[in-house]
Amino acid sequence: MDPPPAAKKLRELFYSAHFVHSHIAHFYALAAPDFVLGPASDPAQRNILGVVAKVGLQIGGEVIKHRAYAQSIQTVIGGKATHPVFGLPGGVSRPISEEERQDFEAKAKSCVEFAKFSLKLFNDVVLANKDYLSLITGPIYTMKSYYMGMVDANNKVNFYDGDLRVVDPDGKEVVKFKPAQYLDFIAEHTEPWTYMKFPFLKQVGWKGFTEGKESGVYRVSPLARLNAADGMATPLAQAEYEKMYTTLGGKPVHATLVLHWARLIELLYAAERLLELSQDKEITTQEVRTIPTATPDEGVGVVEAPRGVLIHHYQTDKNGIVQKVNLIVATAHNYPAMQMSIKKAAQGVIKKGQAVSEGLLNMVEMAFRAYDPCMACATHTLPGQMPLEVIIRDNRGEIVRTLSRNLPA
Amino acid sequence: MGNPILSDDGAGIRVARLLEETLNRPDVTVAESSLAGMDLLELLSGYDRVIIIDAIEAAGARPGRVYRFGPEALTRTRHASSPHDVNFATALELGKRLGMALPAEIVIFGIQVSDVSTFSEQCTPEVERAIPRCVKRVLNEIDRPLTQGK
Repeated sequence: MDPPPAAKKLRELFYSAHFVHSHIAHFYALAAPDFVLGPASDPAQRNILGVVAKVGLQIGGEVIKHRAYAQSIQTVIGGKATHPVFGLPGGVSRPISEEERQDFEAKAKSCVEFAKFSLKLFNDVVLANKDYLSLITGPIYTMKSYYMGMVDANNKVNFYDGDLRVVDPDGKEVVKFKPAQYLDFIAEHTEPWTYMKFPFLKQVGWKGFTEGKESGVYRVSPLARLNAADGMATPLAQAEYEKMYTTLGGKPVHATLVLHWARLIELLYAAERLLELSQDKEITTQEVRTIPTATPDEGVGVVEAPRGVLIHHYQTDKNGIVQKVNLIVATAHNYPAMQMSIKKAAQGVIKKGQAVSEGLLNMVEMAFRAYDPCMACATHTLPGQMPLEVIIRDNRGEIVRTLSRNLPA
Repeated sequence: MGNPILSDDGAGIRVARLLEETLNRPDVTVAESSLAGMDLLELLSGYDRVIIIDAIEAAGARPGRVYRFGPEALTRTRHASSPHDVNFATALELGKRLGMALPAEIVIFGIQVSDVSTFSEQCTPEVERAIPRCVKRVLNEIDRPLTQGK
């Protein structure tokens, strides 16, 4: 079932608006406080209010305005920005008018300018600060892994449609596959101490929480997408892509905190793509749905979520009722790497005999935050009371305290 | 506010739906929302007064108890409640500093929950019984003259 061209374009337009909204929120509300105010600054100030106080109220207003622009585009197309109701088998629920298209175009133009401004801000605040640059590119936040991302026919980053491409820690393509083939290339390791699974590359194998070419650990994310692709499909984002890799000494980049830079380059790409699609008159045509006539049996859908590859796999019975579902969300793909990034950051900043300050703990947290994780999306368990046990040990491994709830008898 | 398919988490939405049926006032808008953080700012702006009805989990409280409080009560929990957004108190403060047209008065009704982890469109019996009581209190609140601003 292939939706009509206008439906595909509306879906991608909606999705580009979602990226604009999500990437703005992550950078300004969650990432910027660590850099604008400093990793060890007072936690009471280290938030978006502190960022706005430092960079200016006017910029705060621009953040809110452009998030709202993106949300309003999503609302017009999707009925609601969050939990949209327009995606139907074979297309979308309704066409858009010329007036709505013009409104999208005006908002998209403004989003492109705001994305350019955001990259300039990152340049001025982060890259121009030698301490930050060495922190970002230093060993404690660096981890060598494989990278996976969706690419178009020219191997350029694509959020909506394409093949999944995997590159090794040297940046060399190891495989490119169709979404429906994902089970041939991805397997999931389990551990008894977590509700989440640990995906790995099947052909390399699970070698534990280890980095490098011998380990099947791979990452998805804005940075992984840029590492796995040959470039960006829009001109301004392509220029920023080239600048990033030139500045950092080539591809791939293994520095986890560079995720923030990659996220802003993607913000620019999403805004440019939003503009391109909003200027395409075909999006106002009335043919937005091909009514399905066959009963579905099995389907795999893959898109790039803002935080990385998102795989949905459904199998149905003869009545079309879903019988089996498998979801691998971005945070699950990144879960092995997150464990390792956090451990490496902790070992890098916490030294024997030195007091562990809140600032140091935040520097450990920064390794986690960079992935823009969503543990709730990545944890799949049947509803009910979640059994949980937390064991706190001292430096000799002795149990200090055990906290538990709802453990099976 | 809430998640209508997660047992007691849908209590606020259930109250809103009853209010929608009961109220016949053109000057009052009833809206359902599952949003949080900065997304709420847009929803709140432009109104004189906002009454938020949501599920709440207060330590040791009796399920079905209805609390009434203002947004200032949330400032002590101004930590991140979502990995993708800021919490409501921070968003509200941000909106104020940016000069957004936020309501002069915000009142929050919180219904103490018992179960927010089972998928169900029904609330637990204690919370179910609290819904009409909360509707009554909200109706009284709407009739009360605006105390600030305006």
